[in-house]
Amino acid sequence: MWKSKVWNLTLLSTILRRRPTLLSISHFQSNSTSHFPPTISRTSYFDFLGNPNFPGKTFCSESAEKSHVHVRCWSCGNVANGSLFLFCDSCRSIQPLDQSVDYFQIFGLERKYDIGVENLEGKYKDWQKKLHPDLVHSKSEKERGFAAEQSARVIDAYCTLSKPLLRAIYIMRLEGVDVDEEETLSDPELLSEILEIREAVEEAADSQELNQIQSQMQEKLDHWSSSFANAFQCRKFEEALNSIRRMTYYHRVNEEIVKKL
Amino acid sequence: MLRLVSKKVLGLASQEGLVSRPVQVLPRMYHERVIDHYDKPRNVGSLDKNDPTVGTGLVGAPACGDVMKLQIKVDEVTGKIVDARFKTFGCGSAIASSSVASEWVKGKQLEEVVTIKNTEIAKYLSLPPVKLHCSMLAEDAIKAAVKDYEAKRAKSNGSATAAPAAKAAEA
Repeated sequence: MWKSKVWNLTLLSTILRRRPTLLSISHFQSNSTSHFPPTISRTSYFDFLGNPNFPGKTFCSESAEKSHVHVRCWSCGNVANGSLFLFCDSCRSIQPLDQSVDYFQIFGLERKYDIGVENLEGKYKDWQKKLHPDLVHSKSEKERGFAAEQSARVIDAYCTLSKPLLRAIYIMRLEGVDVDEEETLSDPELLSEILEIREAVEEAADSQELNQIQSQMQEKLDHWSSSFANAFQCRKFEEALNSIRRMTYYHRVNEEIVKKL
Repeated sequence: MLRLVSKKVLGLASQEGLVSRPVQVLPRMYHERVIDHYDKPRNVGSLDKNDPTVGTGLVGAPACGDVMKLQIKVDEVTGKIVDARFKTFGCGSAIASSSVASEWVKGKQLEEVVTIKNTEIAKYLSLPPVKLHCSMLAEDAIKAAVKDYEAKRAKSNGSATAAPAAKAAEA
């Protein structure tokens, strides 16, 4: 409901011209910085990260394929072509939301961490040209609802896959590993490092100093992103989680820097 | 919306006679004590972590990338916490929770402070459910600080009774 409101306010043309607002990992501190203005990305993260009971199995591509074998278009009755059926090619009707289709499938990608992020935007726009609620404003309420849900999910998918940290968390979820860590961390090495960096950010005299810290953080992020990729590929999930933890902390530092710059 | 905000600001200004800056930043769902501690955090700062009478607790919330450092200075004779300092990089609730924790531990015995429960802090600050982990962090920071102090003490004393506990803690 929230989303449909957002969408009504966002013109299709605007969407196609601009990328969706990426607030990066704002969900991590959507709780902590509650004065954040509500944005599309913020709501969208609540969908998959804010719901602790999200059943991991619905993401499985196998089950998606099975359940799609005889799916027909609700409007013209045409049989769906393949497992990805967001939109009916014969009557151009938007189909009901299918949660079993994962974000990688939406973007026609293999489920792996290393993806070509530069190709996401084009695909994202292609979907919005088919699914955006503005395209069905004169159609039935039912289809308008489908459009709102589908296009919002495509945004979720785009935001998630285009950000390394979010993509890492998401792909772990698809493997059934929950990254929503509630327990307290007491790794003194990491924590004192972070404390030091945060103090440096706090005390930074000018933007030059901040930029310097920011590029250091980017290096660390790149390093831990490739560590994640390796660990994930070898299915060493504990190591992968450790990389995510690191990325979360460095990303958080970057957000603080951006606030100060 | 704008009117609502300005009304709020004006209302506060007229009631209290002073406008505290972060009040406008934090959403209204926060309890006034959170805002108070966020606005005027108590005991911010650092103690010398190499001082044998200082215990340092360093904890983090991996999900939100927060870090909290709580330090206690202990009177070795009485076992009473004579001073406390904290430094928290995190949200308003995390700052308020650690500020409250630093106040509560002062003047208390070590064995007393380790019984402080996050639920007490959360209740005192009326933290919403999504913020309970912030108070949890504060509780863990207290425990970590006490543990650090005790480990230091055991090391310097080299006493046969305390040493195994310290080793266990390090393991």
